[in-house]
Amino acid sequence: QKININETNAPLKKVLSLINQQSGYVFFYESKDIKNKTITISIKDASINETLNKCLKDEQLNYVIIQNTIFINKQENKTSIPAVSPVQAVVLNVTGLVLDEKNLPLPGVTVKLKGSNVGVVTDTQGQFKIDVPNANAVLVFSFVGYATQEEAVVSDKPLTIHMKLDDSKLNEVVVIGYGTIKKSDLTGAVASVQAKDLVTAGSSSVDKALQGKLAGVDVESAGGAPGSGMSILVRGVGTINNTTPLYVVDGMYVSSISNIAPGDIASISVLKDASAAAIYGTRAANGVVLVTTKSGAGNQTSISFDSYYGVQSIQKKLNVLNAQQWGQVDNAMHDNAGVARLPLANRPDSLGPSTNWQNAIYRNAPIQNYELNISGGGKGTTYSVSGGYLNQQGIVDQTGYNRYNLRFKSETKLGILKFGESVILSQENWQNMPGSWGGQGGNPVGAAAKSIPAFQIYDPTAVGGYAGPTGSVINVENPVAQLYLEKSTTRTNSALLNAYGQVDIAKGFYYKINIGYTDYLTHDFDYKPRYQVGSFFSNATNNINTDDNKDDNTLLIENTLNFDRQFGKSHIQALVGYTYQNENYQYNNETAAGLPDGIYQADAATGVTQAFGNASQASLVSQLGRVVYSYDDRYLFTGSVRRDGSSRFGPANRYGVFPSVAAGWNISNEKFFTNSKLASVISLLKLRGSFGILGNQEFGNYQYGAAIASNVNYVTGTGQTLWSGSTQQAYADPDIKWETSKTSDVGAELGFFNNALNLTADYYHKVTSDMLVQVPIPGSAGSTSSPYVNAGSISNNGLELSLSYHGVAHDFSYNVFGTFATNQNKVLSLGSGSEQIIGGYPDLHGEGTTTTQVGGPVGAFYLIKTAGIFQTQAQINAYRDKNGQLIQPNAAPGDIKFVDYNGDGQISDADKQYVGSPNPKFTYGFGYNARYKNFDMSVYFQGTYGNMIYNGFRMDLEGMNVDYNMSTTTLNAWTPTNTNTTMPRAVYGDPNGNDRVSDRFLESGSYLRCKSLQFGYNFKMQAIQSIGIKSLRAYISFDNLFTITNYTGLNPDLGVIAGQNIFSRGVDYSYTAYPLARVSTIGLQLSL
Amino acid sequence: CKKSTLELNNPNQITTATHWKTAADVLSGLAATYNSFVTESQTGLYTVRGVELMNGRGDDFFIRNDVSDLYTLSTFTNTASNGVSGGYWNTCYQGIFSANQVITYAPAIQMDATTKAQEIAEAEFLRGLFYFNLEINFQNVPLRLTIPVTQKDYYIAKSPATAVWAQIVKDFTDAAAALPTSYSAQWVGRATSGAAYAYLAKAYLYQGNYAAAEAAAANIMKGQYSLTANFSDNFDATHENNSESVFEIQLSDVGGTNPWTTGSGENLGTTVAQEFAPSQIGGWFEICPTDTLLSAFMKEKMPSGNYDLRLPATLVWQGETSALGGNTTFYQQPIANFFPGDFSSYHSRLKKYQNFNQANELVGANNTQYSSSNNERVMRYAEVLMIHAEAVTMQGRPQDAYVDVNAIRTRAGLAALPAGYSQTQMMTEIMHQRMIEFAREGDRFYDLVRWNLIQQALTNSDKVGKQYYTTKFNYFPIPQSELDNNPLMVQNPAWGN
Repeated sequence: QKININETNAPLKKVLSLINQQSGYVFFYESKDIKNKTITISIKDASINETLNKCLKDEQLNYVIIQNTIFINKQENKTSIPAVSPVQAVVLNVTGLVLDEKNLPLPGVTVKLKGSNVGVVTDTQGQFKIDVPNANAVLVFSFVGYATQEEAVVSDKPLTIHMKLDDSKLNEVVVIGYGTIKKSDLTGAVASVQAKDLVTAGSSSVDKALQGKLAGVDVESAGGAPGSGMSILVRGVGTINNTTPLYVVDGMYVSSISNIAPGDIASISVLKDASAAAIYGTRAANGVVLVTTKSGAGNQTSISFDSYYGVQSIQKKLNVLNAQQWGQVDNAMHDNAGVARLPLANRPDSLGPSTNWQNAIYRNAPIQNYELNISGGGKGTTYSVSGGYLNQQGIVDQTGYNRYNLRFKSETKLGILKFGESVILSQENWQNMPGSWGGQGGNPVGAAAKSIPAFQIYDPTAVGGYAGPTGSVINVENPVAQLYLEKSTTRTNSALLNAYGQVDIAKGFYYKINIGYTDYLTHDFDYKPRYQVGSFFSNATNNINTDDNKDDNTLLIENTLNFDRQFGKSHIQALVGYTYQNENYQYNNETAAGLPDGIYQADAATGVTQAFGNASQASLVSQLGRVVYSYDDRYLFTGSVRRDGSSRFGPANRYGVFPSVAAGWNISNEKFFTNSKLASVISLLKLRGSFGILGNQEFGNYQYGAAIASNVNYVTGTGQTLWSGSTQQAYADPDIKWETSKTSDVGAELGFFNNALNLTADYYHKVTSDMLVQVPIPGSAGSTSSPYVNAGSISNNGLELSLSYHGVAHDFSYNVFGTFATNQNKVLSLGSGSEQIIGGYPDLHGEGTTTTQVGGPVGAFYLIKTAGIFQTQAQINAYRDKNGQLIQPNAAPGDIKFVDYNGDGQISDADKQYVGSPNPKFTYGFGYNARYKNFDMSVYFQGTYGNMIYNGFRMDLEGMNVDYNMSTTTLNAWTPTNTNTTMPRAVYGDPNGNDRVSDRFLESGSYLRCKSLQFGYNFKMQAIQSIGIKSLRAYISFDNLFTITNYTGLNPDLGVIAGQNIFSRGVDYSYTAYPLARVSTIGLQLSL
Repeated sequence: CKKSTLELNNPNQITTATHWKTAADVLSGLAATYNSFVTESQTGLYTVRGVELMNGRGDDFFIRNDVSDLYTLSTFTNTASNGVSGGYWNTCYQGIFSANQVITYAPAIQMDATTKAQEIAEAEFLRGLFYFNLEINFQNVPLRLTIPVTQKDYYIAKSPATAVWAQIVKDFTDAAAALPTSYSAQWVGRATSGAAYAYLAKAYLYQGNYAAAEAAAANIMKGQYSLTANFSDNFDATHENNSESVFEIQLSDVGGTNPWTTGSGENLGTTVAQEFAPSQIGGWFEICPTDTLLSAFMKEKMPSGNYDLRLPATLVWQGETSALGGNTTFYQQPIANFFPGDFSSYHSRLKKYQNFNQANELVGANNTQYSSSNNERVMRYAEVLMIHAEAVTMQGRPQDAYVDVNAIRTRAGLAALPAGYSQTQMMTEIMHQRMIEFAREGDRFYDLVRWNLIQQALTNSDKVGKQYYTTKFNYFPIPQSELDNNPLMVQNPAWGN
């Protein structure tokens, strides 16, 4: 070939490209070697060697020509690749075949010459051809889902490479309490998830990313408010007391994990059974969630930067009446009751333009997140530093959340010493949605649905500028006024500091001290300016309603002696420890009235200022021990015990002992198994079983002593002054003791086809006794609250399955996974006097919807059943008890017929019967991840089946008995001419109690939700790599894309709402909840 | 580990182990017992919910459908789950628990013997009053006279009404014997022996024991008390604890700023006036006088032709002018501004106990929201007179009732009764006078029930929901929460089961 080039100050790269075009030679070079180099060249009909010599002469670059490929190197590499003459280069023409684990050809495998960018890809026959410069060359074979392999080239004999599936999962190390363990040595039920399996991209909090990933771990939203955490329930409702699991982050106990940046997580383990959790003794009964943050690795410094930007929008609004429709239904309501119509509704001209209150408060809200992580290490030291910023505005106007994170973690080894620390700092700021103003709308979410559309939003003449309800209507707040007038913020500064030191005493024997400290400093502020909103809502002066500071800090000191040695085929890991923990809480609050406009500090108050405060302290002193023994990787045994002493109990019952044992058998490591035919299909088979006793002490401090309440005051004297009073207002049980739960667990772990298919199954049975609970006592006992007592017992049993399949075809790999869990919850005995606990009060006026009693689940729905609508007076007159008395004397045609279940001739709470459970028959999640060349996608679904929800909000919106706005379904209310309906007649005052708590408002809570859907693209262009970027990925992501459900409320995923208890689990308080958002995100992940 | 590591004392509250040792503890225990009268977060007996509960079921007041629990009890569609009646029950027993503590612990405390005896008597009076209110509202209730020791003691069964009445009589009798007749200026407002006698008389009246009622009332008709010259002096904040006041709930805008909370933040005023106030001045108009009440007031005029003085002191009405003794302003606005207003079907608004001289009810004296300092006069001397009048009339001596009834009538500007009334005529007069004299003072419904006239009165009235009344509504059902949590409790038969 003759080459002709005439270029002045052209980039070398461009020149090489011209040579390539004219000669057909392919260039290989390191980008950095020719970067920024320009040359001036003018040649005519030159040979390739002449051309290259001219090009590279002044650039300290050498070249080698091997067949059609030209390698360009820096001159210092002279010795390795002589540049003088191409014929002198040792060239091996290597061919080969790559086979998969089933000995089938594997196409698409990258074959690279180690230490260079030279590479080829196997063809559809799994074959490859590559030329290497010399006999010392090493080839690297890599393919997604398979372990990367290296093969030295010794001759030009064809190679056959057997690729093995990436079995790093088998050697995966799982974090357990006070240490780590090889996953194959595990005897307990531990669900763990690694960072790479957590789709943290686009998730605002760690717990959100966890949702549905782990069988038997229910992650429910605690409302959709920005910055609201999630409620995690391990293996169902284990107790009627507090059900929050114990959270441990980098060895330190924390109260919540929602302040941690998702990108900081290296792994999460959930200890589900007694064997795994018993080392945490008293606090482990609800399971333990262990979070480990990222550490630095090796000698290389790596930097990653993740960011995303998204838009959140409301998933669902409630269909409520417009002004004209409201007038129509409201008038019918008054007419049917024989009560004068509201002047407002009676004059159609007064209805004016209709206000859509929901549109007035909901918005599309942006969310953005940035995380930077730098990690690396040097001689003996590794480190990881990260910082993050999240800003999330709420879909409810004026609400929002932002979070700043800073984290530092390092570890240093120095001879027999090892020490390290984790420092996790965060600041979170919430702009809260204000609560009720004392009206019947509740918070703005409730008020937006219930506000009468005939009222206007603004009134420039009113103090504060907002209009509101007037006249003989219900006092529903103007939600826009609530959001704009009241200022409610919370700021939490959290610090987690944990340091440890470790010294080797003898081989495999070391002492470790761990000192942890957490501090949560929270400041709440709530301010209401002067306003007059309609005739019901007024605030005469500018007031600070809350200006409080809370300091909650915990000190932890843990001393452990550890032993870890292999003796022949025996491996022993042992641990003994002594720990001390002390928690201190201090609360101060001030309120101030009469502030000048625009001033927010109490010093300026001209009205009353008040101060409040309280404090509490709790200590826990524990001894613990554990032995993990494995023989030949076949027989496994774990035993552990913890003794806790807690200040929460009186002297008689201060200490509790919590032991556990577990055994496991790796059958697939047995000779008889590996020699059998099964081994070709089943690559892993492990059985395990455990039993243990766990404790629970999560209730208030100082509950064993009865207190005297102060400030139970009265007024006296001609001067009418305060007469301060104090008295005992509640009872206490001095002999209160630990709640204990006995858990048995049997599990199996199976792997098929070289672990392409994995199955884990667990069955558990858990009996919780001496439950610590505030059993309601009758009002006639005269107590203002119920005492904590050890009450009754409860059992939970369930099956958990998790399944995953990893498939590879060509340059396409995918992963399908699913989790499935059942939980049967049964009350064995209850310590209440009546052996039942009523709960689940659904709305402002509702009666209890749930009855918890022996033989049934906690929070079972017991409701009066409905039996259709009375169409005629004759039907009402025919509905009589055995004595001939009318059962529903107040009914009229169009009213609901209720079932007189106990036959006493009256409809009352005594007619309640079992109508369903709030607990799902099963919960499930499944997902699919796939990768094709540079593209990846993941989708994840999650759902529940068989649970019921009491739709408390529908009681209000379909009540048709008071003057606020209603659901559009009320347009179909019964009238003498509209009889084919399930909606009863509209009647003010509701004399028949159509709106009473009944199964009318019970709905199926089953749902299937597309939790997340993500598409990504990995940029692998040389252009990017040439500027030093290791990887760059862009993605779009959707959260809560759609939900398939028959539930008519805002969101079937109720979660446990703050202030409500476990007896209310299936009750929808959506007038207090923050609705869930659909989130669409674009993101970028960059690593250097 | 050291024992002290785990021995942590509650830094916020003292415990029962260190309380009930001194005279001060007894005194503060009494204040706490009185608190059950005024606590608004827990259905205090004589503040918002208590007043609405007492007045809501008669033929004289209508409660609108804003707070459903109030509306249903007012329209006789309430159930056992009614939060207002349930809360009232609980508050009574909380008061009883406090009173029982004083009665139980005081005897062993070293303190002045007279003071001790008086203060135990005071607790007995208060306990009697809680049981009186429980009895007239729920009929058969558990009698709890001691402090529960073990969990088992939380559960006690109902006692028959006779046993409850016997206890009420005993508590009032014991209290009347030991309580002082009056207090120093600092302690004015606490229960006196006069209060105990008055309630003893009332308790006898409810039981139909007229001779005993007459005797009890006679104890305090010896000049200690007298009617105020102005009827309206009994319902404003400037004439509190006056000569007519036998027992008065002390309400003042002191303490914290929030009437609906407990503890140090609790304001000790009442928001009840805000509940009755019309919307034109920012009130919540939850409850409104019926036209039945308005016409009862208009039935008899003064000899001058003007309205009974009690009418313009109790109500403002549509069309009220300065003619015939009417007023022209209400909350500093022309009365005409208030009509037709919120309740287009009713033609009067409540004035009694309202702070109608202010521009509105929004702000109390201490800049506290909605807080009225106006004391509730729960036992006026006028009532003692009327108890006495009824007791003698029912014993067949209507002639002995003239002095009492004429005293009430004279103050109202009405002529003295003509002589020669029969027992029936006198009872009719007493019933009518009680209706208008004590309107909004919480007696009307209970009077009608004990006179067995409730059905008739409702039928003749414009009471909303009167068609749903049956005799079972004479008493509230046992609260559902009590049934749910007390294995020994059964519902009152009229309420099923």
